[in-house]
Amino acid sequence: MKRRNFLLLGSMLGMTHYLHAKPSSSFERSFKKVEATLRAVQEHMFPQGSKIPSAQSMHTIQFLFDTVSHETYDKDIRKFVIEGAEELQRREKGKFLSMNTQEKEEALRTYEKTRYGSNWLSRIMTLTMEGLFSDPIYGSNKKEAGWKALNAYGGVPRPRTKYIAL
Amino acid sequence: MKQYDVVVIGSGASGGAVAHTLTKAGYKVAVVEKGRLIKREEFTKDELAYCRRDIVTPNLFEEYHVIEEKVDGKWEGTPTYDSGWSFWNGNVVGGSSNFMSGMLHRMHPDDFRLKSKYGAIKGANVVDWPISYDEMEPYYLKAEELVGISGKYEKHPYEPPRSTADFTQPPTQENAVVKLLDKSCAELNIKSLVTPRSVLSQNKGHRKACYYSNFCGSYGCSSGAKGSSREALLMPALASGNLTLLSNTYVKSLHTSKKEAVDYAVVVDVLTGKEKQLYADLFVVAAQAHESARLLLNSASEFHPNGLANSSGELGKNLIFSAGGSGQGELHADKLKEIRFEELMQTGLFVNRSILDWYFIDHWWDGTFKGGSVEFMFEHQNIISRARKNSEENGQLVWGKALGEKLTERFTKQKSIRFEIFNDWLPNDNCFVSLDKTHKDKYGMPVGRLRVEAHPQDLKVGKYIAEKCEKVLEEMGAQNIYSSVSSSPPQNLIAGGCRFGDDPKTSVLNRYCQAHDVPNLFVADASFMPTGGSVPYTWTIYANAFRVADHIVKVLKEKQI
Repeated sequence: MKRRNFLLLGSMLGMTHYLHAKPSSSFERSFKKVEATLRAVQEHMFPQGSKIPSAQSMHTIQFLFDTVSHETYDKDIRKFVIEGAEELQRREKGKFLSMNTQEKEEALRTYEKTRYGSNWLSRIMTLTMEGLFSDPIYGSNKKEAGWKALNAYGGVPRPRTKYIAL
Repeated sequence: MKQYDVVVIGSGASGGAVAHTLTKAGYKVAVVEKGRLIKREEFTKDELAYCRRDIVTPNLFEEYHVIEEKVDGKWEGTPTYDSGWSFWNGNVVGGSSNFMSGMLHRMHPDDFRLKSKYGAIKGANVVDWPISYDEMEPYYLKAEELVGISGKYEKHPYEPPRSTADFTQPPTQENAVVKLLDKSCAELNIKSLVTPRSVLSQNKGHRKACYYSNFCGSYGCSSGAKGSSREALLMPALASGNLTLLSNTYVKSLHTSKKEAVDYAVVVDVLTGKEKQLYADLFVVAAQAHESARLLLNSASEFHPNGLANSSGELGKNLIFSAGGSGQGELHADKLKEIRFEELMQTGLFVNRSILDWYFIDHWWDGTFKGGSVEFMFEHQNIISRARKNSEENGQLVWGKALGEKLTERFTKQKSIRFEIFNDWLPNDNCFVSLDKTHKDKYGMPVGRLRVEAHPQDLKVGKYIAEKCEKVLEEMGAQNIYSSVSSSPPQNLIAGGCRFGDDPKTSVLNRYCQAHDVPNLFVADASFMPTGGSVPYTWTIYANAFRVADHIVKVLKEKQI
């Protein structure tokens, strides 16, 4: 079995834990450093109590990681996702994670006023929506919750493998 | 040395039509396709894979184009890996015909004689075609029946004449919104027509009727209803036993060891990188207009120093797209007329309506000029893209609970109806493909450099029609109506670059799309078109390729090469 198919199957069969025990790639190491920030931004954009599912309940951070670390993903955007989060941490002097909702809102809206920040937030929005509204096989549209909220459903046949078997 | 009678380069609409005709006539044909084979049973409605990733097109860092646009009065080239503006359209077996929406029309007889009808237009290189509609008509019919175009003939002054009374397949099922659309058009004294669609409404041979998946355009078809080259032509051609399908095979160049003939194609196995030569009596290029011209330019030799079959200097010139634009409006639950909201929200059924009333304009005030056609449809039902499009307001992202409110309102309380305008992209000196002098693809071949300027008349016509379409949406009771007509080329509707004509000094191909300079070389795709008509090209591409293929059979039979 090709390594990638193994990984994809692994994630479907709940083997993610085992796979995470594998040695980290350099991307994975960089990702770990900003993971909490990325997660917090996603959760601020898609909070609990909204009419659409929350980032937290749909575990969109995993989708984001799976997507940008996929070898077919644009390598420049992969880098940008990490660097934009580092920039947010830097701008807020490492305090973003400890801010309350109102403070986070102000920090992100100020970041959005910069061209760089606006592009980065757009990218995170896209990467989160792709998780929430893509086929459940990708992991963040759990039990079709994203589709149910919009009363809009993907067509058939549904994918049996991620990105079709490459 | 010879391995095949004919090598066809490209497996899309035209390559499929040529392969089908030749294999049925008993010739051994190889179809060479850069992409892989995705079979009917492998296609799914995976939005992420098909619409948001490069699953069916090359990675732009490996294969790309350079697009030249005028910036502050100067031509500036931008590689598409920088802009993300891909000019690939489905590089898999069957090409982009796998992914079309299939709204098709025949060109009008006057489209074949545009210059005679309207005279020269300043700044545009309009010429008449060397053939007439009458010569194409039998092949429009062949495409209609073989590829499977469903529809319903209705008399209209601008509807091209046909040699049979009606389509063999009735139209696909329609959403109730057509009642509202037809009534609104009638109120405005506009005739709405049923759109011919290359989607089967009934089973046909190995292909099953449409199952109304709600995700048609941009996706491969899982019943075989869509008239893709793969389903309609290559599958039967394979069944003949005469077709060798060489997928995952990239053609670098065509080799000439004398002036009058191509002797082999230099190809690369894209999986192994191994290079080999394919020998045949005759070669048919069908790689989509901009890539076909590029291949011939990349095939320059001592006998053809400016590119293969380019003694006229016309190779790559007069590239055309489809001009026009689009617009849409929202039909809201609380303001809906004529039909129930539940009917409007029924998914999968087609809108199937076209307007040809503005195909030719002859008005006491507006003037006399060539207009265009209009197609109506629902906004594409892709969920991620619709959600993402509705997550911005006043230049800011909408997030938090406000986003939840906005999206649920947008998805459950309204539905958008859309129109697309197709009018002539006038051929001009600033729309052509050449070879880039520095950029090369991963196979080491110079990439195509496309200059893409539109003629001002194209915009004028597009805007004229858009205003009329907006009135239709208003009459339907739509809200937030807008339209966008721009000079930006639609990269999926591309033609020209190897004009056909009777004079070898001013055209690359003769009337049978055979290279004037090289008798065993044909170009079967939309490259031949000197003007593009005001309808999507696909039906004409299929029809012309069947016509060309019949001539190739004659050439092979009579051993003219």
